[in-house]
Amino acid sequence: MGGQVSKMMGKIFGTKEMRILMLGLDAAGKTTILYKLKLSNQDVTTIPTVGFNVESVTYKNVKFNVWDVGGQDKIRPLWRHYYSGTQGLIFVVDSSDTARLEEARSELHKIINDREMKDALLLVFANKQDIGGHLSPEEITNELQLTKLKDKLWYVAPSVATDGTGIFEGLAWLSNNVKTQPAK
Amino acid sequence: MASTIPYRPSNDSLSASNNKTNGLPRLSPAPSFVGRSASGSQMSFRRTSTENAVGYKQRRCKSQYPLDSPERHVEYILVASFHIDRGPIMEHQYPAAISGDESMLAELMLPDQTHVRSQDWTIFFLHKDTSGDDDEEETEDGKKKKKRKSKYHANEEAAHLQDENQDDASDGESTDDEEGGEGPPLMYVLNLVNTKQDHTVRRGAVVKAMAICTRHSFLHIYKPLLLLALEDYFKSPYPETLASLYDAVNAMDLSLMPKMSLLERHILQSSNTKEMFLEKFEQMVRQREEEEAENGDVPPSPKKTSRYVLPRDTHEFESKVVYNDIPIPVKIPTVIWPETVGDFSLVKLIQTFAGPHATSPQPFPSHPHLTTSGPLTHPIIVLVNAILTQKRVVFLGHNRPSGEVAEAVLAACALASGGILRGFTRHAFPYTDLTKIDDLLKVPGFIAGVTNPTFANHPEWWDVLCDLPTGRMKISSHVEPAPVTEGLLFFQQQNSLLPNQASNAHQDPTGDNLFIEDILRSISNRHGENAIRAKWRAYIMKFARVAAAFEEAVYGASNLYIIGPGEELSPDSPTGQQTDASDPSSLRGHGYVWTDEVAKQRELSASVSRIEGWRNTRSYYSYIQDIAAMYYPARPIQRPDLHHHHDRLRSLKLSHADAGAIYLALSHAVRDYAGICQLLAVAPENQAGLFYLSMGLFHPDQVVREATCDLLDRIAAHPAGRHFWSHLTRFAKLGYFRVKRDRDAAQSPISGAASGSGSPTTANVGASFGGEPQSLVGVALGDSSFQRRS
Repeated sequence: MGGQVSKMMGKIFGTKEMRILMLGLDAAGKTTILYKLKLSNQDVTTIPTVGFNVESVTYKNVKFNVWDVGGQDKIRPLWRHYYSGTQGLIFVVDSSDTARLEEARSELHKIINDREMKDALLLVFANKQDIGGHLSPEEITNELQLTKLKDKLWYVAPSVATDGTGIFEGLAWLSNNVKTQPAK
Repeated sequence: MASTIPYRPSNDSLSASNNKTNGLPRLSPAPSFVGRSASGSQMSFRRTSTENAVGYKQRRCKSQYPLDSPERHVEYILVASFHIDRGPIMEHQYPAAISGDESMLAELMLPDQTHVRSQDWTIFFLHKDTSGDDDEEETEDGKKKKKRKSKYHANEEAAHLQDENQDDASDGESTDDEEGGEGPPLMYVLNLVNTKQDHTVRRGAVVKAMAICTRHSFLHIYKPLLLLALEDYFKSPYPETLASLYDAVNAMDLSLMPKMSLLERHILQSSNTKEMFLEKFEQMVRQREEEEAENGDVPPSPKKTSRYVLPRDTHEFESKVVYNDIPIPVKIPTVIWPETVGDFSLVKLIQTFAGPHATSPQPFPSHPHLTTSGPLTHPIIVLVNAILTQKRVVFLGHNRPSGEVAEAVLAACALASGGILRGFTRHAFPYTDLTKIDDLLKVPGFIAGVTNPTFANHPEWWDVLCDLPTGRMKISSHVEPAPVTEGLLFFQQQNSLLPNQASNAHQDPTGDNLFIEDILRSISNRHGENAIRAKWRAYIMKFARVAAAFEEAVYGASNLYIIGPGEELSPDSPTGQQTDASDPSSLRGHGYVWTDEVAKQRELSASVSRIEGWRNTRSYYSYIQDIAAMYYPARPIQRPDLHHHHDRLRSLKLSHADAGAIYLALSHAVRDYAGICQLLAVAPENQAGLFYLSMGLFHPDQVVREATCDLLDRIAAHPAGRHFWSHLTRFAKLGYFRVKRDRDAAQSPISGAASGSGSPTTANVGASFGGEPQSLVGVALGDSSFQRRS
């Protein structure tokens, strides 16, 4: 329903803008997802992000300004500086790295409990679905304890960033659920 | 630096005390280095100025970077890398661990988005205090320890300055170390980071950075060395690689670079003459050769060519660093002004923001400190105003190398400093990132360079944001409004009594629009970086002088000007009067010169807000300290105010009597070496040089003409003055000869010897004259030196 309205608004007012912040532990696949969004048909090889990447991607009449911020634990305290004005959070999880799921859960809850992030949509990419021993989106939902969240619109999308599987489905969910507030 | 060596200028003769105090006991006493060197080197000593020095003391020339200085060119070499699990880490430090937060350093060395480019440069500063427990190596030098120990609290700073002042006062012209009073000199860090794709390692890349930490502000000379050394480090990642770089750079020999006085530095920098003060370089070589001959280091053989080469341009000193058997040439600037760090370009900074403003100006929200010419104030003026009034300025260069934002920050510091005001680089962060934001926000007023566009989303972090890719400037919605100050109220009260309220209607009351137009014209005519820097220097100088006039008008006294002897504050001391009828140099008047009272009121009322905004800042307070500390070194002639009276000659239509009084006063007061330096410093070549002085040769009163002639004689015999003389128009030189001839004719046969004594001058002039006759008018117009640019 809300999606219908937003689509209509989009048609009437042209392209909307949405600021997206993409976070996750190091080596989860954030930069690969970003450049797969940006350059859909190309192979993407990435190296560790020093600092951040930011790219604009237009999809279904929504211009997404996607910020991808490096994930090494020492630089995670910097994430908070990117919160203000963010309308959607993409949290990327390596579904095969079961040993660090607890760490990922703790970081995720820290982020979405921040006052500046209370209105942001939450999209979780259960990434690396192609690697043996990976957890399913449902298992990821449980591990991250997403059902505990109140007043939060969230969605878990399975993905294989390296071949692009699932990432545009995730973006579609964001564009359908973004509030029709004027872009900042 | 060399200021750590106590030096006594008071001794006129080169007494033995020099040998003791300058720490070079092996030196021979005076006679051996007066006059031409006996070594008979075949170097081109084109002219030896020492002979024509009229009463100038030949004193030992000191080195800026003496061989026996305990200070090293480079103090530390660091290597950091980006660890794929842990983020930035420090790998090695040589010769010892630098104190302070190691992980903070590693973060600074690996700038944001380093992964998207293979190579990047950054610059950052460390407020490193060498008095810490971690330094044993420098403790043997007691004075230095004291000098560096002070922290950054204002009170201690002031107390510390007292020390420095005393040193300076006793040191006369030979020492005027600008760094005094601001605490320990900054540690400048030049950093090179390389990202190498490597499929054999986990996650496909290796990112490493190497940095050089130095207290010299010319850190850009080390760039080629870092390129070589970091490459080597990728091959052999061991401390030995750092050690060989460290040894190589510290073996660099700068000991033949002469130390210059404040006024000499003024003159050299504002001059384009490549041989200015070449004599000093000659003297350094001569001293060295004599020293070597005495010690028997080198057998004195008259046929041998000198091992030492004189600089082709005295603005730079050429040396080399031998790294891994590769000699790498380096050029070190002879004159380094405060707040000039690295090799930035004012031209580039100005063009970046002037271009978009010229094509489609965007109005700024009004702020009294910043938009001093209304909403369409030129962005460069907004920037300078912001720095002068100590706002938080951020340069943002998204997707640009971090070296580029660092360069913009350094250029902005130099822009607002003009080499005159201080305290900007000390609060500058040429490259910084989010990791430092909490510390950054504790600094009241800063200039920072960032590449992360998230800064644009946080207007609460800055007052002025300068976006380099678009060339647009923004004033933050969070900027603190300008407070209403006492000075502002006083000024408005005073002014409301005055009849002219039409001042607001004036198109360009600050003169800034005209100034910017002039700058842009200079840039498009390719006058070069030096010309632009000189113009900014003049602009900042003017700002300080206008502020002094404002303080005098509003507060009744100014912190920014020390009244000379016999002089009183403006209203009680009418310009142009003599306090002592028998002494022409007792001419009164001081400060900035306006054409009339209306012009003065108009300019003051346009500038009142930013002056008041400046009056509470660090740069204001350190300028007051500098004024006190530099009083004697910068003003060997305290009376009359040379700058003021030269300005009057330049900008006013004076009666013959008034002009004559100025020429007499100048001729009477300006006699010795330092005095002539002072006069030359207020008449730089790029502002017509000696032109206005030479007009005294055409004064109706013969006494004035002859006094001017004598003054020009002295200037022409002065090592720096002779260059000014040779740039004087032929018209003026003809006037000079006419006065000489008239005097000779009047005095008849007796004067032969007197005019002959001016031989160096006459020879000079004769040479420049020889040849084709030309129309006098044509010569005067076509050759006037104020139109000449190199």
